[in-house]
Amino acid sequence: MKSELKVHLVKYLNILDYKPEDIADDMPLFGEGLALDSIDSLELIVMLEREYGIKITNPADGRKILTNIEAMADYIMEHKKE
Amino acid sequence: MLQAQDEVYISGFGCITPIGSNAEECLSSLRSGKSGIRRPVLFQSKYASLYLFGEVSLSNEELLSQLDIAGMKGLTRTDLLAFKAFKEAVESAGLSPEEISSPDTAFVSASTVGGMCLTDQLYKDSNLLTNDSEYLDSYSCSAHANRIVERYQIKGPVDVINTACSSSANALMHGARLIRSGRVKRAIVGGVDSLSKYTVNGFNSLQILSSDRCKPFDSERDGLNLGEGAAYLVLERADELKGKKASAQLVGYGNSNDAYHTSSMSDEAVGILRAIGEAASMAGLSGKEIGYINAHGTGTENNDSVEAEAFRRFFDPVPPFSSTKSYIGHTLGAAGAIEAIISIMALSHGELYPNLNFSRAIQPQGLHPITEFRKAELEYVMSNSYGFSGNCTSLIFKKA
Amino acid sequence: MYLIDMLAISPQESWNGKAYLNNIRIVSGNKLMAIEPDYGDIIKPSQLRRMGKALRMGIGCGAELMKRNEELDGIIIGTSEGGLEGCISFLNQIVDYDEGTLTPTNFVQSTPNAVAGHLALISGNSGYNITHVNGGLSFENALTDALMLFAEGKAERLLVGNVEEISDYNFNIGYLAGLYKGEDSLSSGLIGSGTPGTLAGEGSAMFVFGRSKQSDSLRLVDVACISYPTKEGLSELICRTLEGKGVLAADIDAVIAGYSGDSRSDFWYDDITNEVFPGASVYTYKNLVGEYPSSSAFALKLGFDLLRGEGIPSEIVKKETGRPLRNILIYNHYRAKQHSLILISSDFSPEKDTSP
Repeated sequence: MKSELKVHLVKYLNILDYKPEDIADDMPLFGEGLALDSIDSLELIVMLEREYGIKITNPADGRKILTNIEAMADYIMEHKKE
Repeated sequence: MLQAQDEVYISGFGCITPIGSNAEECLSSLRSGKSGIRRPVLFQSKYASLYLFGEVSLSNEELLSQLDIAGMKGLTRTDLLAFKAFKEAVESAGLSPEEISSPDTAFVSASTVGGMCLTDQLYKDSNLLTNDSEYLDSYSCSAHANRIVERYQIKGPVDVINTACSSSANALMHGARLIRSGRVKRAIVGGVDSLSKYTVNGFNSLQILSSDRCKPFDSERDGLNLGEGAAYLVLERADELKGKKASAQLVGYGNSNDAYHTSSMSDEAVGILRAIGEAASMAGLSGKEIGYINAHGTGTENNDSVEAEAFRRFFDPVPPFSSTKSYIGHTLGAAGAIEAIISIMALSHGELYPNLNFSRAIQPQGLHPITEFRKAELEYVMSNSYGFSGNCTSLIFKKA
Repeated sequence: MYLIDMLAISPQESWNGKAYLNNIRIVSGNKLMAIEPDYGDIIKPSQLRRMGKALRMGIGCGAELMKRNEELDGIIIGTSEGGLEGCISFLNQIVDYDEGTLTPTNFVQSTPNAVAGHLALISGNSGYNITHVNGGLSFENALTDALMLFAEGKAERLLVGNVEEISDYNFNIGYLAGLYKGEDSLSSGLIGSGTPGTLAGEGSAMFVFGRSKQSDSLRLVDVACISYPTKEGLSELICRTLEGKGVLAADIDAVIAGYSGDSRSDFWYDDITNEVFPGASVYTYKNLVGEYPSSSAFALKLGFDLLRGEGIPSEIVKKETGRPLRNILIYNHYRAKQHSLILISSDFSPEKDTSP
């Protein structure tokens, strides 16, 4: 599931300098590592809704939840609708 | 000594906004604290029932019935609002048809939405799902301006500016500069925007729409209300006034870029400060002379705290200020021009319009806007507008 | 104002400077797509990923010039529609997802002032910044803005440019409006084709202008525009503009004319070149880059290249008189509604200038 998540992330954010398989599970997404910004966090919130049916209602929570692939995967497992 | 062509006066204006279909009605609403932000009646969108908007109360049919433009095809709401305000402006300035179409008269307009207010029609046309659309030339930001050019036979320079939410403030600045450069003797300047699915979805995707009425400069603010409207002003060189009474003089302007982020402003308010500084310097003012600031004040988390910070850094003390977006919402491309007219009304009548929905100041600046209508002796007034992609513009008017 | 530097991305190999003049590409079909460079050194991947074509071209061109010419006092862009790819992507999202949760990047990218804004962001330039969007006069208005800023003493150097892209949005709408020829067209047969319609083009041309005379003294002398003119009105404008700068029609060595191959509106160019400038050479450019609202920006690049004596490709010649090139007038119209003039020169003397 994490590799699928990486593929979605690269596609939604149109990442050019990393292939999905190059992104380590614990690589920071914001600040350093992939160095995403606030607009990216809004895009990832959309991605979670469209691909996994999960809604994050407060955008400010986005950056706290989506720290790296590992954290995102855990969040999805907890909240994914069947 | 100033040459005549250095002095630019406002000899007339017209506007249509969520608080009035002409300048007189808008003034009355401002004085009585009557806000135009409500659940929309005409605007069609899923978000019409979820958010509040500043909607102009006239329908397209009603607008058309008040204008002399029968026979023009493919008109959008943006075009109609623009025509309405333009008509009032040129009548208010007493311009003859010959003056309007003289090569010495420029027309500088602004819009961010243009004809994209017809979002669904545009989707069909651009995806080749239609056959006989009358709107093919209606979608661009400049479409409304060229309709006006056609109808009024405008032969002077025609320009349209899009710098997002500071567009029509830049249109005013550009018109004044065309006059001062000697290229023209007068300029009709302003802008327009109408409510559209395109913008409400865009702003919603950025999560900056308020769930209720916007609260500019309040510590509990949670976003903006979108609005629509149009406004035009007639700028004329001093020696062209010919005894007409001017409502104000445009004495200073500044344009800069914050150069920080595409949709938010730097904490140090770099762009805002530079624009304010340039306008004040051009007007020969230190800042103490400014009697009122009509702020950009959208009600978003970022804008209001940065703007408050800019006020604190530039002015000592900070003059009375308010955001009239608390009455009309954020009218995007029309905002600069509508708010310039409001600033001129304040100046010429000697009064201050309140910032509605305010309770608690943003910290650490702790600045309180005006919260009640009152009379005031004003000599200089400032109007500010800031847009996406860092565009900042500041205008200063002087009592005529 | 004086030319300091320039660069263009276009359907020709113009990125490499003047090499394109010796190697004019012929394109088949009704879309002349731009040849984009590798943006690797100019735009960081983290920014490039968000950019549609218009943004890439405008920023690629502008940023490269800004690297070569520091300390600019402002950025002035002319574009008719800006980042349309972003616009239609967002539009499609609105309809396809029935106004549900949408991604913001397309929206932010689609605003026409995004190019000027991004260039300011990348270079940390907080100076004058504006975007002009009046269709076929967008670039000319940007030039006028720059001329005024220099005259006001508020700038020493400015970046001025255009950007326009072919995207599904504007191509489809233009197609429905009958603007374009069929897909079996060839750019080499465009001028004088005798049929309605033209070919769509795209590109970005950026210029750094300075207030003071440079060593090769290439000068942009003046700009003038008029909307929905009669032939008389246009001729009057031409006279007034030239007179204002102390230039006679007979001083114009060449007219770069915006012939678009559309038989419905190319007669304007025949009339003006034959009647007002009978002794001048006539060159074309839309057979190189196609038709789009701010195409005169490419014409300006071409004009300056010709003034520099880089050679005259046969593909652009409609009429060759052999006159040495010192004064060139660019005359263009967009869909016969918006007409413009740009006067450039290589040895202009300011004493003749009587205009304000």
